[in-house]
Amino acid sequence: MKHILIILLAWVTVHQAGQDIYVCKNVKVNLFSSAPIEDIEANTTTGVSVYNPGTGELEFSIPIRSFHFPKALMEEHFNENYIESDKFPKATFKGKIQERIDVSKDGTYPVTVTGDFQVHGVTQPRTITGNLKVSGGVVTMTSEFMVKCADHHIDIPQIVFHHIAESIRIRVSATYTTLKNNNPSK
Amino acid sequence: MKKIMIALTFITLAAGLKAQQTDTTKKSGGNPSSTDSLLNSMSQDDKHQNVIGAFKATRLILSPTTTTVKRNNLNFLVIHRFGDIGTPAGGGRTLIGLDAVSDVYIGFEYGLSDNLNIDFGRNTIGGLIEFGMKYAVLHQKMDDSSPIAITFLGEYGVRPYGSFTSYGARNSYLGQAIISRKFTSALSLQVSPVYVYSNTAIPDILGNDKGFFALSGALRYKVTKHMSLLVDYEHPFSSFRTNNGFPDPLGFGIEVETGGHVFTLNITNSRAVSEINSLSNTQSDYGRGQFRIGFTISRMFDFNHHEKWKDNK
Repeated sequence: MKHILIILLAWVTVHQAGQDIYVCKNVKVNLFSSAPIEDIEANTTTGVSVYNPGTGELEFSIPIRSFHFPKALMEEHFNENYIESDKFPKATFKGKIQERIDVSKDGTYPVTVTGDFQVHGVTQPRTITGNLKVSGGVVTMTSEFMVKCADHHIDIPQIVFHHIAESIRIRVSATYTTLKNNNPSK
Repeated sequence: MKKIMIALTFITLAAGLKAQQTDTTKKSGGNPSSTDSLLNSMSQDDKHQNVIGAFKATRLILSPTTTTVKRNNLNFLVIHRFGDIGTPAGGGRTLIGLDAVSDVYIGFEYGLSDNLNIDFGRNTIGGLIEFGMKYAVLHQKMDDSSPIAITFLGEYGVRPYGSFTSYGARNSYLGQAIISRKFTSALSLQVSPVYVYSNTAIPDILGNDKGFFALSGALRYKVTKHMSLLVDYEHPFSSFRTNNGFPDPLGFGIEVETGGHVFTLNITNSRAVSEINSLSNTQSDYGRGQFRIGFTISRMFDFNHHEKWKDNK
């Protein structure tokens, strides 16, 4: 009986340490700016994200070039003139979920994530709220927040016709699956 | 009981060690955590992408660029060349040539695909009407797997007015391979070998070559995010033109890009806009004051539809 208890306790510890890491390789991001002539909107579905429920760590990496705009010129201007994707090819977020979430229980949890948000080579500490939904082992996160262009040294030239707003609305949606082989070196 | 105590101690110890480990990773900061390295391994840089924005417009001053009009986009062009600045006809009398018009080109370029364009336009000089096709064969890649971009251009020109011996005698043809490279985010260069053939030589003088090769070279240097400097030069390899002292067309310009528009203000010795005309028949010389102000207005219309954001289900 004693032995079983010991084994059980040990197993629980081991299990805790090796808790599954959740990954998403098709993070959807939408950026939206209202503009005088026409609204500007772009989408990408090729961002990646890692979520470690054990530590609460949550990270995102979005390739800038993967953002697609309905109009080819807008896309070119976005890359060339605003965000300079040749110099700064990625937007990243590295943070920690403040709440303790039990991913083994289904439900929708409002979450607060605090961390570093990097766009255009400029890092800003941010606290972003969102929702985490667990349903049958699948974790989905959604969030909507604003990014000020000035915070990331993105200049808005005065002469352009595709004049963008000073704040851009970002919407993120990611569906995670567990990484069975928990081997970070791979 | 003893055993349980020992086990518990061990477990607590192990847990403590684990906590310490995570602490050190946090403190050092520089060391990537496992989450970090996992993220990095997942988000490989995709360097095999096209280099964008080697040129802002499909045309510089004299020559076309490797840039094509994107699919379902229509580019409307108005290109103007005014009168001589430095000749007696210029100066204050015609406000440095602005009263006089040497050539006007009005034309359209349409993107059948991102790489294939068709174009149509009309010039004042010779009443020349042009139909053309442009095809981007090769794009410059960010990883330099392709260090250059190559675009082919073919133009058919017809002069509907004036007296010619036959319909065929009105025709001109131009074939061009445009090779460009964006060296830095500011500097782009291009060279393009050209072949021009006119069934009736331009100008129609005895001994003039109907067909000849030419080479053009152009440079774009970005000064600010929206303004660039341009230099554009052409040299026809034609003994008739060399022997008769035809100067090479040379242009200097400022290109301003404002979103849907690209506006170029330039100074050239060439009176003509169309390459068929400017390569064949540039006789005006900087040295004689025969240079002029010109401009290009390029307005892009995009007929693609908006894609709406859908939340994950």
